[in-house]
Amino acid sequence: MADYKPPPLPSPFSFTQPAPTLLTQGAEAHLYKTVSLDPSIPAALKIRPSKPYRHPILDRKLTRQRIVQEARCLVKLIREGVKVPALLALDWEGQGGDSGWGGAWLLMEWIEGPVVRVVLEQWEAWMKQNSSSLDEAQRAREEDRVRDLLNRMGAAGAEMWTPMGLLWRGEIVIIDLGLASQSTQDEDRAVDLYVLERAIGSTHPRSEALFDALLQGYRESYKGATSTLKRLEDVRMRGRKRSMLG
Amino acid sequence: MLAIGMEGSANKVGIGIMLHPKDGGAPKVLANVRHTYISPPGEGFLPKDVARHHRAWVVKLVKQALREAKVSVADVDCICFTKGPGMGAPLQSIAIAARMMSLLWKKPLIGVNHCVGHIEMGRLITGADNPVVLYVSGGNTQVIAYSAKRYRIFGETLDIAVGNCLDRFARTLHIPNDPFPGYNIEQLAKKGFRLVDLPYVVKGMDCSFSGILAAVDGLAVSLGLSGEEQAKADDERINSGEADRDPDARPTRADLCFSLQETVYAMLVEITERAMAHVGSKQVLIVGGVGSNERLQEMMGTMARDRGGSVFATDERYCIDNGIMIAQAGLEAFKTGFQTPLSESACTQRFRTDEVFVDWRD
Amino acid sequence: MALETVALPHLPASLPVHVALYRNVENSVFLRQQLLAGNADFEYALIDASMILSRQHAITAIFRAVNDYLNNRLKSRNVHSEIVFAFNPTNNIADSFRKFGISDATKDLLIVKVSTSPEISHDSIAAHLKDSVQGTLVAFDSETLSQISDVSKIKKQYKLGALPSPGAQANGAQDDSIKRQLELSLLGAIALRGS
Repeated sequence: MADYKPPPLPSPFSFTQPAPTLLTQGAEAHLYKTVSLDPSIPAALKIRPSKPYRHPILDRKLTRQRIVQEARCLVKLIREGVKVPALLALDWEGQGGDSGWGGAWLLMEWIEGPVVRVVLEQWEAWMKQNSSSLDEAQRAREEDRVRDLLNRMGAAGAEMWTPMGLLWRGEIVIIDLGLASQSTQDEDRAVDLYVLERAIGSTHPRSEALFDALLQGYRESYKGATSTLKRLEDVRMRGRKRSMLG
Repeated sequence: MLAIGMEGSANKVGIGIMLHPKDGGAPKVLANVRHTYISPPGEGFLPKDVARHHRAWVVKLVKQALREAKVSVADVDCICFTKGPGMGAPLQSIAIAARMMSLLWKKPLIGVNHCVGHIEMGRLITGADNPVVLYVSGGNTQVIAYSAKRYRIFGETLDIAVGNCLDRFARTLHIPNDPFPGYNIEQLAKKGFRLVDLPYVVKGMDCSFSGILAAVDGLAVSLGLSGEEQAKADDERINSGEADRDPDARPTRADLCFSLQETVYAMLVEITERAMAHVGSKQVLIVGGVGSNERLQEMMGTMARDRGGSVFATDERYCIDNGIMIAQAGLEAFKTGFQTPLSESACTQRFRTDEVFVDWRD
Repeated sequence: MALETVALPHLPASLPVHVALYRNVENSVFLRQQLLAGNADFEYALIDASMILSRQHAITAIFRAVNDYLNNRLKSRNVHSEIVFAFNPTNNIADSFRKFGISDATKDLLIVKVSTSPEISHDSIAAHLKDSVQGTLVAFDSETLSQISDVSKIKKQYKLGALPSPGAQANGAQDDSIKRQLELSLLGAIALRGS
């Protein structure tokens, strides 16, 4: 299997010295660490590279729509005083590559700390190895700790849902609004929750029960939670009730 | 060990015979025969007609399979059949045949989940060991990843299946159903190049096709392209090359097929990529009838390559519904001690992929 | 104090940006006339500094304009008019000059020049400004700007009237965070313009 090489950086980051460091490759975005417009302050650079698999017209439209939606979401939250990384610069038509179309990017404040998802994964790996040597009380304490984390994660995402894109440093900061719908519709909020529930269930088979803790936090900190959670029930059933015949 | 697999959940009836050598050698496909019920252009298939077709063909096909495999009834260890999901009447017609054979020959019955059959056959043929699976057919659209003894559904359609969307649009345009509508849409799409604007509906890892179908159907009607006569006139326009030159000219049926394919396949590749990123897998396996589409395979290949991975797909012998995949998944379960007692052999139209306990994998 | 040359991160080193902040400018009428007459010797971005909240605010607008210049998609005549335009949260170019550009009454002035060709150097600009601008050159930093900026006008132009105003609080730390929130809201508006 060929080693993975990220696509060339869009303009102007092809000029950046030193070159930005790739941190993660998500499905749609690459996250780099670089400097802000002040060389002494770090920043996170999120690039949505062009997707050569899709038709160029469709690709530009979707890439633009999504980066702009995410950027608007960040700016709206900053204005409301919510803890999110601030938008520093944006280009929805970044140039680069052979076609001239290099994807879209946004530059945002750098926030230090581990991602909740990683914290969860480490916890699971640790539990898998050590749970046999723990006594009942210790195990219960461990689970309480993680339940508390998820509880606070639910509370942080309550106003503006964002699956897994949360950062933890004692407090929880939303860092990834790539999937946030910026919508007040119960339907959209419920689907976002459902996606997260299944994501936890699919990658964390042992943490499935922990989703309840997250919902608890959600319920406690968001006044519209009751109707959203009711809709979540419908969304859950939708997949199951649907005749698989089409 | 030898299994007969019997499939009839949609408009194909298929019988396969699979051998898993006792010495642990590679499994062998001894026979894989199939017959398809094809409806006239502009029409879909009705469950009762399909069931009648399956009843008429199943005995013939079992005999043919045994002959081709050069085995006798005594060599058979189990009878595997599709328990679901699928269309009720066709499923029942095959289940009845399977029960009868089980009683007659005193062989154990194995009820198999159709989707798991596709996945196991895809893994066997391609050698992909732990891929993210895109299962796309006329009845199903799912993104699946294996975790802790289950094939977990990561994403799926929130309404109709992608294949159903294509089939129904083929009916609107009066595109023939022979060999199958998706194939003919693909051929017509090769002559199209104007991308018309269609809804693009991905929600998290799920997607929806009914809005797209309504939009493209509506376009076909407003452009005067739906129906038999219109199809002939439009074919002449496409073949004369008249519509070729001007990118702003009125779209043809070929353009609509092209645009529909570009849109729905981009959605499928996107949700597959999301699942891959989520589980950290670099392999994709495409199964199901729509999986034989070359444009979908090409797009998926580009995506996988850009992630440093690869795509696995099977040809139409294995990705279109068949009996051998039921034999393969059934044998895997049978080897772990699984059997379906007669009293529990009723088939079910709804049978989720993640309901199956996958005891044969680590 | 002297003309400052800023190397903006991410932009090519061949495009340095020169910035000078003046107070008590006495010949704004003359400078504005050169601009209106299209005098090529006076191709500068001339910004009324009372509309600038902080150094980062100005740098963000300059970055946006120079990046758009680099990618050949200026909306106005040249990179210097584009810098003035970049401060504006909406797409109205004429409006951006009225609100952020130099006026006859401008007392505090930010002057920006991009080295779009090798002849335009720090020294040539410094010399030209020395001869042309009657005012006091001061440090281009947030502390100086904080004495100049008209926060309520800035908030009005960016439609951020709902945000609390800095300066109204007794508590210094709280005041800083209010100012930071306003600053970040300005940066977001600049980045989002035209989206």
